[in-house]
Amino acid sequence: MTAMLSRLLHRRDELLSHILGPRPLGRTLFELTLLMAISAAGYGAVLGMWHGTRLAAYDAIKLPVVLIATSSFTVLFSWVAALALSVPLRFAQVAVLTFLALATASVVLVSLAPIAWFFTVCAPEPSTATRTTHNALYLMHTGFVAACGLAGTRALWHGMNRLGQPRSVVRRVYLLWVLGYAIVGGEVAWALRPFVGSVSPQFPVVFLREDALKGNVYEFIGRDIVPYLWSRQTP
Amino acid sequence: MTQSIDVAAQEPGNVLTTLDELLRRPDAGFARARAGVPIGAWTLRVVVGALGCCALYGAGGGFFAGGAQIGIAAVKAPLIVAASALLCLPSLYVFGLLAGAPLTRARFVVTLAGFIGMLALVLVGLLPIEWLFSVSTQSLAFVVWLHLALWGIAILFGARFLRAALPEVPSSALLLWLAVFCVVCFQVTTVMRPTLWREPHAPVIAHGKLFFLDHFGRALR
Repeated sequence: MTAMLSRLLHRRDELLSHILGPRPLGRTLFELTLLMAISAAGYGAVLGMWHGTRLAAYDAIKLPVVLIATSSFTVLFSWVAALALSVPLRFAQVAVLTFLALATASVVLVSLAPIAWFFTVCAPEPSTATRTTHNALYLMHTGFVAACGLAGTRALWHGMNRLGQPRSVVRRVYLLWVLGYAIVGGEVAWALRPFVGSVSPQFPVVFLREDALKGNVYEFIGRDIVPYLWSRQTP
Repeated sequence: MTQSIDVAAQEPGNVLTTLDELLRRPDAGFARARAGVPIGAWTLRVVVGALGCCALYGAGGGFFAGGAQIGIAAVKAPLIVAASALLCLPSLYVFGLLAGAPLTRARFVVTLAGFIGMLALVLVGLLPIEWLFSVSTQSLAFVVWLHLALWGIAILFGARFLRAALPEVPSSALLLWLAVFCVVCFQVTTVMRPTLWREPHAPVIAHGKLFFLDHFGRALR
């Protein structure tokens, strides 16, 4: 795993050449998945630690699961989309490029873990009186995950630009991949909630909520968030 | 950063000359790192000098409350900068590498030490101004704003150093890292509170957890 970390950080060009070459990619996929899972587990532990060790342990499992599940759900579409737009990638190459982006994002995330840890240990204990702290931590983690996701997609973009295809075609494939990943990732993360944990006693620390698969994040946004925002704008 | 073997050969011998060199030729450390000259002693001198400058800056801030707070702030200020740098060190390394900077261990160490050194040098340059305003006001809110402004100036110079040290890294990534560094500094300051003003017989480090926005909000009220 350290060898893969070193390749990812110091010899990325060589790694991309290997991925885009004709050789088998099973071992590379395994090493990238392992690196991503361990890095994401490290950040996951910090993500859940505000609510104690139980949620920290849960998140150390759930965050890698979110990434792996999202990739699994989207990889087929990504491959088909690439072929349909005349980007001749093997299925294994699509899978490895996806995990390259995820591993990059996870490594950046784990490099931010000391900062997230520090803010979490400085935060008052969770209670109904600490809703602002909850929101601030939530915002911090969301910001970190979003920034790391961007770093990951940047690695993907660099990789795709080496395919020798016209830039407009590469951009279309890239946008489709990122869009598919964002839509599915949002739902997978929603189904596997809680991550930061709630301050309301109505929502205790659990691995999965009972209503995990009852409704999805987009229904929630359409049913609850948009009407709420709309009602605030209307005098 | 231009390479210069002359710079590598003429290594300053003490903390003051090292800091002087950092100000006049900020690329000297990088030239030494590239030339394969050991940078351990140089880094140590920069870090010691930077912490000394931060201590002086802290003492200047302590004049607002006066008395023992001068010494307490002089100890806390370098701790705040050192702890923040340690917490943000992994992210700068990973940001730099992923942005395409071929960071060797020596180059990274010189970058981080130079950044902290530049920050501390600007802070110590602002010391007379800080002292003047600290002793001439009784408004905590004013001195908090003053320190935020001075910190902002120091960060601008630190950013300039980072920009030159890591030209491969996009400005947006550096700005993001600097923003995170500032926020971490604010939270470390909150953990170390009270730094500028302490009630009589209050503990040197306050108990209880507090978010920096709440702390700064109370101080600015």
